[in-house]
Amino acid sequence: MDAADYVNLIVSALLLAGIYAAMSVGMTIVYGVMKIVNLAHAGFLMLGAYFVLELYERLNIDPLLGSVLAFPVFLVAGMLVHWLLVRRVPVSDQPTLASLLLMFGLWLVLQNLGYLIWGNSDRSILTPRTLSSIHFGPITVPTVRLLVFIPAVCSLGLLELVLRKTWYGRAVRALMQNRYAGRLTGIPVEKMARLTFGVGIGFAGAAGGLLAQLYSFSPDFGRGFLLRSFVIIVLGGLESFWGAAAGALVLALVETFSILVLPAGYQPAIAFSLLVVALVLFPGGIAGIFAKKRRWA
Amino acid sequence: MPSLLLVDRLNKYFAGLAALKDVSFEVEEGQICGLIGPNGAGKTTLFSIIAGSVSPSSGLITYSGKDVTRWKSFQAVRAGVARTHQVTRPFRSMTTRQNVEVALHFGRSNARGSDARQVAEILEDVGLGHMADKPAASLCVGDQKRLELARTLAAKPKLLLCDEVCSGLTETEMNGVLELLRRIRERGVTILYVEHNMRAIMSTCDQVVVLNFGQKLTEGPPLKIQNDPAVIEAYLGRTAAA
Amino acid sequence: MKAASVPMGRFLNYRVAAWGATLIVLGILPWGGISPNLTRLLFTSLVWVITSVAWSLLGGLTGQVSFGFAVFYGLGAYTAAMGINAGLDPLAAFAISGVVAAIASLLIGLPTFRLRGPYFAIATIGVSEAVRVVMTNLSFTGGASGYRIAEHGTFRPLEHYYTALGVAALAVGTSAWVHQSKFGLSLLAVREDEEAAADIGVNPLKTKLLVHLLAATLTGIAGGVYARYAAFIHPDGVFGFQTSVAILLMPIIGGAVTVAGPVIGAFVYGFVQEELVAAFPQFHLLLYGALLIVIILFEPGGVVGWLGKLWAWVKRTRRKSALASVG
Repeated sequence: MDAADYVNLIVSALLLAGIYAAMSVGMTIVYGVMKIVNLAHAGFLMLGAYFVLELYERLNIDPLLGSVLAFPVFLVAGMLVHWLLVRRVPVSDQPTLASLLLMFGLWLVLQNLGYLIWGNSDRSILTPRTLSSIHFGPITVPTVRLLVFIPAVCSLGLLELVLRKTWYGRAVRALMQNRYAGRLTGIPVEKMARLTFGVGIGFAGAAGGLLAQLYSFSPDFGRGFLLRSFVIIVLGGLESFWGAAAGALVLALVETFSILVLPAGYQPAIAFSLLVVALVLFPGGIAGIFAKKRRWA
Repeated sequence: MPSLLLVDRLNKYFAGLAALKDVSFEVEEGQICGLIGPNGAGKTTLFSIIAGSVSPSSGLITYSGKDVTRWKSFQAVRAGVARTHQVTRPFRSMTTRQNVEVALHFGRSNARGSDARQVAEILEDVGLGHMADKPAASLCVGDQKRLELARTLAAKPKLLLCDEVCSGLTETEMNGVLELLRRIRERGVTILYVEHNMRAIMSTCDQVVVLNFGQKLTEGPPLKIQNDPAVIEAYLGRTAAA
Repeated sequence: MKAASVPMGRFLNYRVAAWGATLIVLGILPWGGISPNLTRLLFTSLVWVITSVAWSLLGGLTGQVSFGFAVFYGLGAYTAAMGINAGLDPLAAFAISGVVAAIASLLIGLPTFRLRGPYFAIATIGVSEAVRVVMTNLSFTGGASGYRIAEHGTFRPLEHYYTALGVAALAVGTSAWVHQSKFGLSLLAVREDEEAAADIGVNPLKTKLLVHLLAATLTGIAGGVYARYAAFIHPDGVFGFQTSVAILLMPIIGGAVTVAGPVIGAFVYGFVQEELVAAFPQFHLLLYGALLIVIILFEPGGVVGWLGKLWAWVKRTRRKSALASVG
């Protein structure tokens, strides 16, 4: 392997990191504001993939556009789910088992609805773009990866803008730090929770659509990505967006370069092992380690 | 008399904030030692560290001469140091009796055979005999405090850490609890007692340690503390002391 | 939540009688000339009883919800399979399955029990999936193509059935003992308030490791019993996430903090799955997902909890009508 190959791998990892970050940010925001570990995130990733697939195959809508359209659709769906189910479960400042099991039940329902509707064969989104590559000098990038990366990063940038500049964003950050205090300062917590859950699901749907252009998928699609999302969140610290971005980068790099040392079949185990290692060694994530350094000053 | 508990230059920082700074004092065997101070002085933090629920940033704690600075709370219980909680934490899914049963079985005594009799005795002692089979969740605050004491007694402690056992109680209830504490001391149990209620402190304690802003302000017999201008100032402000 | 004490007197005798009768009926049925299909259904349900009861000790009584129990099931299955192929007596193979699962439970528990609640649950998914992927790639156990048991002699369904019945009875008996013991009280204490439990002398880590070991051992043996019956196992089956899901669904739906709940959940699942899987391959999971949602929202005590409330309602109504008829 020469330098160009290494650079290709790094670029590959970077592009992957972008999409991984977009995929996991939905879980981060739901966890941060509501302390709910949203296992159903996987189900919505899967539904997002099929949503974009159907739009493409029936209405000939470009998958990239489809992914963008998925966001508002899934935002509304998420708010509906919150209104129907999630708000009935007690929430606290610590994640509860009840919410975990509830979201797990929802995921089971979504996944198996998927099987019922679409069967269990693998599907893919094939466009003329799928097999082409772009060359930047010695670097070769599959076109799809680059094109998927752009909306992913844009959405993250947009989210960051919203969090910093808007009232909603400030409220979200306040609630992430202290729910009760937020309530006391007049933040309408339940409405915020509903909107935030919707945003999280919106990201899930859109990310699912983007991922569907990179990988083939079946109704079981979400599971591998669910675990990857956990790794990212745990690596990055469960309540920090930049931490989640860092976590996505770490995971993407490890996964991409692991091909050099491990047989391909073991690759899925990497995310899982990394998850366990991360949970055990860094309960606060990478961001938590940095926070620790400040703590005992 | 040799000191049962020695606290030496104890420090505790939370995220850069000093909850306890250089706290040192001794508790002699057989004493009832009071620990007082305004809200936020660090009393419960100190308690939690001695009891093993929290570890200190630096400093030394010895119990019967042994270094126990970083022990865990279940180790403390096995060694004879038991604590009550300021905000009661009964096991709500169990009955009153079962709460004491667990404590008896896993505390220092590791009793066998005569369990039921011992549990009944302990419940009678604290005045909960009639509530033995009611769910712990149904107890009123005063009875929950008694349950906390019952659980500690089940562990046959040598050093009992009481955290505000009188808060939230009526006058009568409080007298009953103080009487109970005195009875416990008569059995040879040393008591370290955090309390806000001055009457309780003055009437039961042999010596008092005063904390303020995480540091030891002073210590001494109750009467001396009561009249110490620095203590009055800590609680009431400068003009009151003048 | 109900207090975990064995009620004295007549109620206790009713319970013992009920369990005894169930055991006797289950023991006699296969001889009484039921169809092989029904025997097979009962066998499957009995294997699920073992895993259900085992999981409920950890996830129900102690509150440590594991989403990765298939790892013990699979380890037990492969251990027994390899043992039997190496010539071991099946019962010895099952015992070794239990031991292997027990050791694994310590290795897994030590790092993961530092995590609370949902984090522990997620970590268990990671562990189980990692093991599954490794097993899929390991060639000496057959990898993804699976592993076959070559047992000599004819296939005797009754032998498998009674083995399963025996282990299931052992599991239920163990669970009943735990529920009325001081150990059981300490599990409830750890579940409810780990710090307060430590404050009264319970070592939370040791307690969790112990119950984890017990649950894993039983589950490993169940995997072994199943493997011998099926004579062919593969990683996606015995290590699969859907197996972990099944293992946890049954006790939660039946009532995870009781002795009878997991048993009811196991039988219901075993029978319903058979009926539904034939018609709609994934429908049973859809149903169970919906059932789980309903249970979390409305009746966390599961079927047993719901039955308990129903019984209390019946008694109240009877008392009211009795009073009315007097007055």
